[in-house]
Amino acid sequence: MHEYSVTKSLVDLCNQEAEKNKIKRVRLIKIKLGKFTGFSSESINFYFDYLKGNTRCKNAKLEFFEIPIKIRCKDCGYEDTIEEPIFICPKCSKMDIEVITGREFYVESIEGE
Amino acid sequence: MKISVLKPVLVSNQERAKENRIFFDKTNSLVLNIIGSPGSGKTSVIEQIVKRLKSKYKILVIEGDIKGSIDSKKLSKLKIDTIQINTVTECHLDAFMTAQALPQIKKPYNLILVENVGNLVCPAEFEIGEDYKIAILSTPEGDDKPLKYPLVFHLAKVVIINKVDLSPYLDFNIKKARKNIVSKNPKSVIFEVSAKTGKGFDKLINFLEKELVNKR
Repeated sequence: MHEYSVTKSLVDLCNQEAEKNKIKRVRLIKIKLGKFTGFSSESINFYFDYLKGNTRCKNAKLEFFEIPIKIRCKDCGYEDTIEEPIFICPKCSKMDIEVITGREFYVESIEGE
Repeated sequence: MKISVLKPVLVSNQERAKENRIFFDKTNSLVLNIIGSPGSGKTSVIEQIVKRLKSKYKILVIEGDIKGSIDSKKLSKLKIDTIQINTVTECHLDAFMTAQALPQIKKPYNLILVENVGNLVCPAEFEIGEDYKIAILSTPEGDDKPLKYPLVFHLAKVVIINKVDLSPYLDFNIKKARKNIVSKNPKSVIFEVSAKTGKGFDKLINFLEKELVNKR
C-alpha cells in the first residue's frame, strides 16, 4: 500500500535533516498527522521499522500527534471541530465551508545526538 | 538536541508536482487527474471526451496502470497520442511517476487527461501537477461511496456519475449520491453520464470547453 512509499519519503526526509544538522543518531521523530488524510499512523510505524534500516534513524521512534478537523463557515463565521468530514455548517446549514486544519502531514521536529 | 523541521512528509512529491506544473504551464495545458475504482469507467469516459474534442483540441492521454497497456492501446485506436506508465507495485500515480512521461511530450497539448490507477483511496493524496482532480463514481458501486471515501470526493473539483443507464436495475439513488458528494465538497461540479450510451456528455463537454478556453 502507499504507506510504504510515504514512509520511505519520511525516512529520507529525516535522514536529510539529521545530516544537515549533524545529528548522528536520531532518537525521536515528532509527526503531525491530520485526521482527514489518507494515511494511518499504524501502517507508517509498521513500515518505518523496516525502512529505517542502518541509517541515522535506525534507533528512532515515531511520535504522532493527531490534528483534528476544524472547519469555518464562510457564511456565518461559525468555527468548530468536527468528527466526521461532513462539510455542512452545523449552525446555519450553509455549505461554504473552509477546512482550517485536518489535512496536515508533516515532520514537526527530530531529536537526537 | 532537538531541531525543528516543519516540512511535509510528501515534500519531495509536492516539489516534483510543482515542477511538472511548470512544464505543463509552458504550453497552457489543462491537466486533469482522473480517479475512480477499477471498472468505474475511467477509460470509457475518456474515450467519449476524446471522441468529442479531438477535432478541435490537441489531446494527450497519460495512462497509469500497474501492468500492461490495455487502456492506452484502446485509446490509441482513436488516433490520439497516449503515454503508458506502469506503476508495477504502486497503487497510485505520484509526481515522480508522472514525470517519467514528460520527456515523451514533444507537442503542445491543449488537454492532458491522466487516467490514474483504479483506486478510490491512495491517488487522492498524491499531487501530480494537475489543474484538478476528477472523481468517477459508477452507479453499480453504490450511492454511499462518497461517504466511505470522503477524501477523494472532498478534493475532486468535478465528479462524474457514470453508468446512469443502469440505474433502473440498481438501488442507486441519484439524489442521495449527489447529497453525499456535496457533503464532502459543497462546490463539487457533478455530471451524470453514461459512457456506454453517450447520455449526459454534452453538458460535460460544454464545461470542459469553457475550461479549455479559459486556459488559452
